[in-house]
Amino acid sequence: MLRFFHIAWLLVLVILLFLPSTSFAEIRVFACEPEWASLAKEIGGSKVETFTATHARQDPHYIRARPSLIAKMRKADLLVCSGAGLEAGWLPILFQKAGNAKLQPDKPGYLFAADIVPMLEKPILLDRSMGDVHPEGNPHVHLNPNNVLLVAKEMTKRLKLLDPSNAESYQSQFENFSKKWQNALSRWEQQVLNLKGKRIVTHHMSWSYFIDWIGLSLVNTLEPKPGIPATTNHLEALLQQVRNAPVLAIIRTPYAQDKASEWLSEKSGVPAIVLPYTIGGTNEVTDLFKLFDLSLQLLEEINNVKR
Amino acid sequence: MRKFYTGMSFFLMTFLPISSAQAVTDADIEALRNEIKSMKQSYEGRITELEAKLEVFEAEKAKAEDMKVKKESSIASGRKIYDNEFNPSISVILNGKYSSFSSKDSEISGFAVGEEGERGNEGFAVDESELNFSANIDDKFYGSVTAAIVREEGEDKVELEEAYVQTLAGLSLPNGLTAKAGRAFWTFGYLNEHHSHADDFADRPLPNRVFLNKSYNDDGLEVSYVLPTDLYAEIGGGLFRGDDIPFGGSDGEDLDAWSAYARIGGDIGDNMSWRLGGYVLSGESDEGRSTNEDAVIFIGDTDLYAGDLRFTWAPTGNQRNQEITLQGEYFWRDEDGTYEDLDTGTGAVTFDDKSDGWYAQVVYKFLQQWRVGLRYSELESPDVPAGLVGSVLDSGGHDSKATAIMADWTNSEFSRLRLQYNHEELSDNQNDDQIMVQYIMSLGAHGAHKY
Repeated sequence: MLRFFHIAWLLVLVILLFLPSTSFAEIRVFACEPEWASLAKEIGGSKVETFTATHARQDPHYIRARPSLIAKMRKADLLVCSGAGLEAGWLPILFQKAGNAKLQPDKPGYLFAADIVPMLEKPILLDRSMGDVHPEGNPHVHLNPNNVLLVAKEMTKRLKLLDPSNAESYQSQFENFSKKWQNALSRWEQQVLNLKGKRIVTHHMSWSYFIDWIGLSLVNTLEPKPGIPATTNHLEALLQQVRNAPVLAIIRTPYAQDKASEWLSEKSGVPAIVLPYTIGGTNEVTDLFKLFDLSLQLLEEINNVKR
Repeated sequence: MRKFYTGMSFFLMTFLPISSAQAVTDADIEALRNEIKSMKQSYEGRITELEAKLEVFEAEKAKAEDMKVKKESSIASGRKIYDNEFNPSISVILNGKYSSFSSKDSEISGFAVGEEGERGNEGFAVDESELNFSANIDDKFYGSVTAAIVREEGEDKVELEEAYVQTLAGLSLPNGLTAKAGRAFWTFGYLNEHHSHADDFADRPLPNRVFLNKSYNDDGLEVSYVLPTDLYAEIGGGLFRGDDIPFGGSDGEDLDAWSAYARIGGDIGDNMSWRLGGYVLSGESDEGRSTNEDAVIFIGDTDLYAGDLRFTWAPTGNQRNQEITLQGEYFWRDEDGTYEDLDTGTGAVTFDDKSDGWYAQVVYKFLQQWRVGLRYSELESPDVPAGLVGSVLDSGGHDSKATAIMADWTNSEFSRLRLQYNHEELSDNQNDDQIMVQYIMSLGAHGAHKY
C-alpha cells in the first residue's frame, strides 16, 4: 500500500508544480533557425525574447532534440520554423515532450515559413533512392528576400494576435522594417543584374531560392543526392562538367564540409566560397540586411575578378 | 460556300456566249469581258474574305479547345485525395547480424538472466525486424504500435514491443504534462526507452541485459512533467502491471510495480549538451519471475535504482560532421524474497542481497558517415546464500566484465553497417571473443533524433 502513497504523492507534486507557471510579460519566440530569430527581433523589438535552436555552424536538419530545446519550447509563445521537413528529426519530439498547447498547428503560435511562401522543387516522385527528399518542397526558403517579407507580414499578424496590447508597436516596427527591406531589395535587384545566368555549383540544395531569385544557373551539386556526401565518381563527372563550360563559383554553407568543394576548386580553378547562409554565418552578418549585402558582395567580387 | 460561287461563275460563263451571238460588236465583247473581269474580281475578293473569316473561326475554335484541355490538365495535376491519406506513418526496420563466438557457453555467473538478456544467435541471424505504425489519433491523442518479429528458441515470434497512446497538447493539460498508457519502453535510464536499432552498439551492455532483460516494457501508465524552468528539468512516474523483468508473474489484481524519475539537462556553450537522471523502479513478483529458460524462479520484492549521464560535444559546431558522445549508466538492485533453481533442485531459498552494475561508452564520429566506439561494462554479483551454492546463482566470487569496440558506416539517415568486436568474461575461465557484422536499415517514415 505504501507504493500507492508514493504515486499519490507524485500526482500531488505534479499538480502543485504547474500552478505558479501561468503568466509572463514578454512574448517568447522559439526560432528553429537563426534567420527567423533575427526577423522576430526586427518586428518584436524589445517586446519579444528570442531563442534559436540552431546556430549558423549547424546543419538544422541533423540536430537532436536536446534537453535545453525541450525546456525552451515548453515556455515558448510563438514557434517560427522553416518547415517542409527541415526539422523533421527533432521537432516532433519537442512537440510531444514540451506539451505546449500554444504551439499547435491551428494556433497563432505555430508559424512555418513553408506554409506561407511559394515552394520550389516539390518532387513529382517520392522515393528514398533519390536521397533525403522533402515531399513539401525545398525548405531553405529564407534566401529569397521576397519570402522574408512574406514571413515578416505573417509574423506581425501573429504577434498582434498573441499580444494585442502591443499591437501598435508590432505594426509600426513592421512598417519600418518593410520600408527598409524594400529599399534594400531594389538596391539588391540592381546588383544582381550582372549575375544573371551565371553558372554555379553548390554543395547541397540549400541555395535554390537564392539561385532562383538572382537568376543564377545551377550546374550541379557536390552531393550526388540530397543528404548523401560527395563520392569520387560524382566529383570526377562534375569536374568534366565544370571544365566543359565556365562556372562562376562553387558555393557552400558555413556548416558544410569543405573537402569536396576545395578538391573541385583545386582541380578546376573555379573559386570555392563560403556564403554566410544565415545570421552568424560570418561575424559581420548580424542581421538579415547584412546577410544579403554580404552574400551579394562576395559573389560580385568573384564576378568582377572573372571579367 | 466556295463551291457555290464557282458553280455560279461557270453557269454565267456558259450562258453569256449564247446571248452575245445575237449582237456581235467589238464594243459588246469588250463590255462583256470587262463585266466578267469585274465579277471575277468581286467574287475572288469575297472568297478570300470568307476564307480569312473561316481561318479566324477555326483558330478560335482550336484556342477554345486548347483552353479546355489546359483547364482539364490543371485539374488533373492538382492534389488528388486518396482514401489512404490518413493512414498512419509506417516504418520498417530491417536488422540483421552475422556473429561468431569463440566460447560455446555464455553464462553470466551469479545472475538469473531472461531470454533477451542472453547472448544473441551465432551465425547469420535476422535479429529483430520491427514494424511501427504511429499517428496523431485526433487533436488530443497520439498512438504508436511497434511489433518486432524475433527468432527465439528456433521459432519466429511476434513480440509486441510497444502499443501506447499518449496525450497531445490539444488535451489542454497543463503545459509540460504528458501521460502515456499502454505498453512502452518506459523511462528508466538512458537506453531503456530507446529501440535497440538506435543503439550505438550491436548489443546491449551487461547491466541492461541482466537487470532489465534488455529493456523494461511492461503494461502500465506513465506521467511526465517538464518543469517551467530555464534549465531542462523533468519529473515523472508510473504504475505498472508488474509482468516484465525485473518483475514477473503478475495476476493483474494489484498494480505490482511503480516508478519515479527526475532528469535535468542543458547546453554548455554552443556545441556541448548534457543530461543527468535518477530513477527508481520498484515492484513485487508474486507468482514468480522465471528466467534461465524457466529453470530459475524468484518470488519477492525487487527495488532497482539507476543513474544515467550523457554528454555530447560537436567540436566544429555541426554534429553532422564530427561528434563525441559520452554515456554511462549505473544500476543498483535490492532483492528480497526466495530464489529456486529447478535444474539443480535447490528448493526455495531465502534471498536478501544487493547487486550492481554499470557501463560507460564513448562514440566518436570523425567523418560524416563514420563512427568508432568503445564500451566497457561490469557487474558485481551478490553473495550467494548457502542453499544456492552450485546453482546458476553461484558466481563463485566472479564479477562479469565485457569490452566492446565498434566501427560503423552510415550511408544516409536510413541505413547503417556496423562491425563490432566483444571480449566478454562472464564466468570463471570463460573468455569469449565475439565478432559481429550488422546492418540496420529503415524504410518509410523519417526517424526521430532523440537526445
